[in-house]
Amino acid sequence: MTATATLDVEGVVKTFGGVTAVDGVTLSTAGSDITALIGPNGAGKTTLFNLVTGFDRPDSGTVSFNGRRLSNVPAWKAARLGLGRTFQTPVGFPSLCVWDNLMVAAAQPASETILGAVMGRTRWGRDLEACAQRAEEVLDQLGLSDLRDTHVADLSAGDAKLLEFARQLMRRPRMLLLDEPASGVDPSRLPQLAALIRSLVAQDIAILLIDHNLSFVLDIADHIYVMARGRVISEGTPDVVSNDPQVMEVYMGKAA
Amino acid sequence: MTGVILFFAGTLTLAGVYAALAQILNLSAGWGGLWDLGMAGTVGIAAYVYTVATVSPSEFPNLDVALGLPIPVGIALSAVVTGLVALLIGIPSLRLRGEYFLITTFAFAEVVRQLMINQSSLTGGTVGLNRLDRPFEDAVTGGNYRYVLLAITFAVVVALYFFMRRLGRSPFGALLRSQRDNEPLAKALGKDVVRYRVLTFALAGVLVGLVAPLYVWYLKRVVPDLFAADLTFTVWTALVIGGIGSFRGPAIGAVFLICLTEALQFLQVDAEHAVLLATMRPLLLGLVLILVLRLRPEGLFTERRAFQRRTSPRTAPLAPQRAALASSPAAMETSEGSGS
Amino acid sequence: MLQTLVFGLITGSILAIAATGFALIRQTEGFLNIAHGQFLLVGAYLGVEFTSKLGLGIVLAGLVTFVCVGALAVLCARLVFDPVRERGALVLLFTSIGLAYVLYAGSILVFGVDILSFDVDFGNAIMLGSVAITPVEIGMIGVFVVAILGLMLFFNRTRLGTWVRATASNPDLARVRGVPVGVVSASVWFVAGGLGGVAGILLGLNSSVTSELGWNATMLILAATVLGGLGRIYGVMAAAMFLGLVMNLATEVIDPSYSTLVAFGALIIVLLIRPEGIFSIERRREIAA
Repeated sequence: MTATATLDVEGVVKTFGGVTAVDGVTLSTAGSDITALIGPNGAGKTTLFNLVTGFDRPDSGTVSFNGRRLSNVPAWKAARLGLGRTFQTPVGFPSLCVWDNLMVAAAQPASETILGAVMGRTRWGRDLEACAQRAEEVLDQLGLSDLRDTHVADLSAGDAKLLEFARQLMRRPRMLLLDEPASGVDPSRLPQLAALIRSLVAQDIAILLIDHNLSFVLDIADHIYVMARGRVISEGTPDVVSNDPQVMEVYMGKAA
Repeated sequence: MTGVILFFAGTLTLAGVYAALAQILNLSAGWGGLWDLGMAGTVGIAAYVYTVATVSPSEFPNLDVALGLPIPVGIALSAVVTGLVALLIGIPSLRLRGEYFLITTFAFAEVVRQLMINQSSLTGGTVGLNRLDRPFEDAVTGGNYRYVLLAITFAVVVALYFFMRRLGRSPFGALLRSQRDNEPLAKALGKDVVRYRVLTFALAGVLVGLVAPLYVWYLKRVVPDLFAADLTFTVWTALVIGGIGSFRGPAIGAVFLICLTEALQFLQVDAEHAVLLATMRPLLLGLVLILVLRLRPEGLFTERRAFQRRTSPRTAPLAPQRAALASSPAAMETSEGSGS
Repeated sequence: MLQTLVFGLITGSILAIAATGFALIRQTEGFLNIAHGQFLLVGAYLGVEFTSKLGLGIVLAGLVTFVCVGALAVLCARLVFDPVRERGALVLLFTSIGLAYVLYAGSILVFGVDILSFDVDFGNAIMLGSVAITPVEIGMIGVFVVAILGLMLFFNRTRLGTWVRATASNPDLARVRGVPVGVVSASVWFVAGGLGGVAGILLGLNSSVTSELGWNATMLILAATVLGGLGRIYGVMAAAMFLGLVMNLATEVIDPSYSTLVAFGALIIVLLIRPEGIFSIERRREIAA
């Protein structure tokens, strides 16, 4: 157990026009570095992510991050508290180059002012230097250094996926929510991805991830929650979950 | 001959006014992704505030308010009021994106125009306010004043160009373009997107307030009809031609468009063909807009070229073949101003 | 008071016919067609032409105009909008502004700038209690009723109408399910353009035909469409009626020159407090996408 940030979700409910997408989910990442959330399509996983990160408001229930209640905290504020997230489709900022994508990610609000822009570099020079240094580190770590001037619209799917991580790493989050990190990644590169995620844990970043690739999840996660039809139907270590007959029925039975 | 030169000086001045407005629209619409169709409204407010603030009560006894302030104070007042109005519209409407903001601003401009017509004790009604004073007018003789005005306009356009260049390349500019490209991602990176949009719209308002007096000086008058939707669409067309999101595009697009449409006025025609000539401006405007959007939607100058990085810190040897292989025309279209 | 109510109903009817076509396009084609106002202008000019030059009866002239402007709209869709369809709503919107200018200039070139009016005699006003109403005004409300009933029949009773509804609610799904997208698109443009043309005639009958008719109508059409919840056809009709009534009733209490101001004031207030429109039943799914 290396990562210190914890997320607690309690009795969260969300209904869209009569359909209950998330139906009283309770989970906690306490005591685990890499927590995974699995389940069939429409189980409510991404909805839960949106509720946790402030992109949507739960109808009832609470979300707390490191003991702090996140009710009514907008998405940008949750991010500033150290709760990072990635998106399923790594669109990024397509009209910016890789380097600028990273710089935007890390820039401090104090340097993103109109006055600062008018005054020129003197005002935001120091913040920028720190960002640039961090960007070099992150590019290096992810092996994206030679793509720094490439426009994101021109990146390959795999590189775009890596950049999705890179942007979040720039901000040094306390916890990172990964929405389908393995989807679209070449199977031969999955071990590399797993190593990358583990290296994040070593940097004191707790991980909560959603994925469809069961072997990937069983390999990487310490603790797994299984969702179906908006509810948590099983939880435990990879061993426990993979031997739960109920899970076999709704999830693996379907996958087979 | 002097007539021709004078005419071109006038046309270039008008082009300069549009170049300034197009650069401002480029900030809010090009980089900010705010679909603003209310430019005629903000320009109108700015022009009237400036005029009412600077005309003297003795010359315009019919007006309720005529402050007779010095010109610089009038400009400052116009900037402040226009900025505040933009703030007032922006705060509630920028929570919503795209079409709703577009319609709100469009309706706002129409409300402003109606108010200009109806509130005649403030605005002079449909007749407007005529024979307005202009700066440095006493210093030069009659016809030469056009050159003074052209010089002032040119200076303003150049100043705005360098201001926008600085703004565009700053962290603020990068943030604006990023939230336009991908709003959820910008939020997930801790950016208070709505706040920056409101700020941008207000800044655009302030800049319009600073620039609008040029238009008043050029026309020597203010009339509600000048601030109809046509003004908004002309500025947008200039921006689309020049290249949304680029640095040079808005100004050059404006000069191109205004010279094209104003050149028609130079043709001497008899009354019979006057109607024909009058329709040429809207016809040209429409055709240019349709054709540019179809054939070269990124405009003459592209945002991509404007922001191309030549020297990143510690640039490693590039992998050009890799980048070239991956580039696709489709990718450029999606990145072109379409917002969400 | 009662008289004003009747005027409100008439304004509302005309506006509803104009806005319905606009809303149809917004719903099925996904963008705000600013050129719609110019369909009204073309319709009004054609109507005058057909009645005065060709001596057609007003009803026949209306039907011919419906077909002509409908065909013009289909032509515009094919020539102007189809080539840029993939580039998104903003490009389509600005293309429609370009088209609006071209249609506007073209109408002036063909029909001139003189203010025209319909030279049709409908007989004297009928007194209904204290309310004077002319046959043409009854006719306008009649056209509105016919238009509503016609659209309802079209949507609910014809296969094409079902396809249009399917495309409007989920274009991608409709395509996957094998709805002939091209046919749907063409028929929607035809109906929208035709309704616009008829609305132009009604506007011309109500006052006169000027070259600015289209631009002036555009603002009110936008207002009605937003009030009705962007593209919800019955909501937009209700909103148009509401606007017509409010604008006319407002003249009872304030200066008539402020009546359009009331419409836009209402629009802005609605946008600020309830952007999904006051006449829409469901909430819009996600506004700030």
